[in-house]
Amino acid sequence: MANVGIVGIGHTKFGNSSEYDLSDVLAYAATDALEDAHFLARRKEVDQVIVGNMASGLFCHQSAVASALVSRMDMEPVPAELVENGPASGASAIKIGYMAVASGMADIVLVVGGEVMRKVTGWVGTDYVATMLHTDAEYNMGLTLPAFGGMFTRMYMERYGLTERDLALLAVKNHANGAKNKYAHIQAPCTIEAIADGPDASVVNTYVAEPLRMYSTCPVSDGAAALLLVNMDSPKAKGFPKRPIRIAGIASATDTHCVHNRKDPLKLDAVRIAAEKAYAMASLKPSDISFAELHDAFSILELAISEEVGFFERGKSFLAVRKGETDIGGRLPINTSGGLKSKGHPVGGTGVSQAVELVRQLRGEAEKGRQVLDPKYGMAVNFGGFGNNVVALICAKE
Amino acid sequence: MIDFSMYDQKEPKIAAYKCLKCGAIYYPAPMVCSSCDARRDPVTGKGWETFDLEGPCTLLSWTRLWNLPEGYSKKNMLFGIVEFENGLRASGQLEVDDPKTGMALHSTVVESDERPGDPVNVFVFTQ
Ligand SMILES: [Zn+2]
Repeated sequence: MANVGIVGIGHTKFGNSSEYDLSDVLAYAATDALEDAHFLARRKEVDQVIVGNMASGLFCHQSAVASALVSRMDMEPVPAELVENGPASGASAIKIGYMAVASGMADIVLVVGGEVMRKVTGWVGTDYVATMLHTDAEYNMGLTLPAFGGMFTRMYMERYGLTERDLALLAVKNHANGAKNKYAHIQAPCTIEAIADGPDASVVNTYVAEPLRMYSTCPVSDGAAALLLVNMDSPKAKGFPKRPIRIAGIASATDTHCVHNRKDPLKLDAVRIAAEKAYAMASLKPSDISFAELHDAFSILELAISEEVGFFERGKSFLAVRKGETDIGGRLPINTSGGLKSKGHPVGGTGVSQAVELVRQLRGEAEKGRQVLDPKYGMAVNFGGFGNNVVALICAKE
Repeated sequence: MIDFSMYDQKEPKIAAYKCLKCGAIYYPAPMVCSSCDARRDPVTGKGWETFDLEGPCTLLSWTRLWNLPEGYSKKNMLFGIVEFENGLRASGQLEVDDPKTGMALHSTVVESDERPGDPVNVFVFTQ
């Protein structure tokens, strides 16, 4: 297979972009990525545009956004397609872009992922996101993604002894990282006193889906991110200003639609299998990874995913968090960007945003105070549905 | 005149599915039996039978959900995952005072119009 490298990255500041058209938000990140690669004037030489988006039809009453994007950017007649894979749409778009290059059909691919979710109220948005659940057996019952997050958290607590304070520690860590990330939705640190230990903590940090609290749940965000992929073995790969960051492994896997039909609902098989395939493709093992971006839509998922990908033993990850092992200066920094909790989660954009963070860290371009010391390999896990479609990505500096 | 129409009103039920070839049971409906690969044709139903998923069950996990989506008028609601005596599991609403994982429950089904669209049958697990 061809070696595929990332030579350009782009990212909007996540937050509230509801006054903007989705095509403009996507185009902003895409233009950023082309500029970063010094390729804006040559944009029509891109062989393929792939857009990751989950639900523009619902959130923005807008369809065919990939076609809208190329026209907005004056890139016609470049081919463009949309990839929809729930909250894993972004990483799936990268995977399809990778496949386009690896197949030989394209040498230069622009991947853009994004979502504008705040044109509708939070209640309506929660309903739209819940439509990815099983229609009869989950959605119609009134269940939502936070409800599954809460039930999963309770099972984990009762089996392994995790506490609500442990979840708060994850929020403190991720907010500390996000506070230093210029792209993060919430650029404010929080203290363990304010959200767990202090007298007002239960008011500040209210329940969302017991035992999950607000500081264990990601915000609703708008935003987009973009990558320019090249075939590193092609003559076209020459002349980019920055050394490519190589995609060493990318793989995905699926699981049962209904959470209740998993033999052990605490096991996230799609995460484990996607990660195993990505490690095999990269000829790497969990101990080779320098840092990771893990899909913490609910803080419990950062823990559960870190165990499934082999960083920690099952039921032991929160002990490492207590010791600071996943802090920026720790043995294995996790969610250096602030994660979904602090950086935000524009659903279809998150997978691409995670990849942008891998590139920033591997280039040494992260802000002071959150740059990992000389990282070699970064891993990202983008989690779709409640774990029924998951993409794992490994990027390498060399 | 006596109005008999009320006698036609059936109690709402939720169906589970049984593959007649190998006996495997499912909820919700599959299109292929994962034990023997028999196909289920939802139009004819041939080779499969349905039965009401109901009765005693055990609570596997639960949550009290505070940020309810559009359509729900309550401040918060309980949801849970249960396991029936036949091994099938289901997700649904919970109406108990003091939920505890592992507690014995009983399933009921109500017709709900809270979600957008036509009314649907919903599990409500009670003590
Ligand atoms: Zn069968």
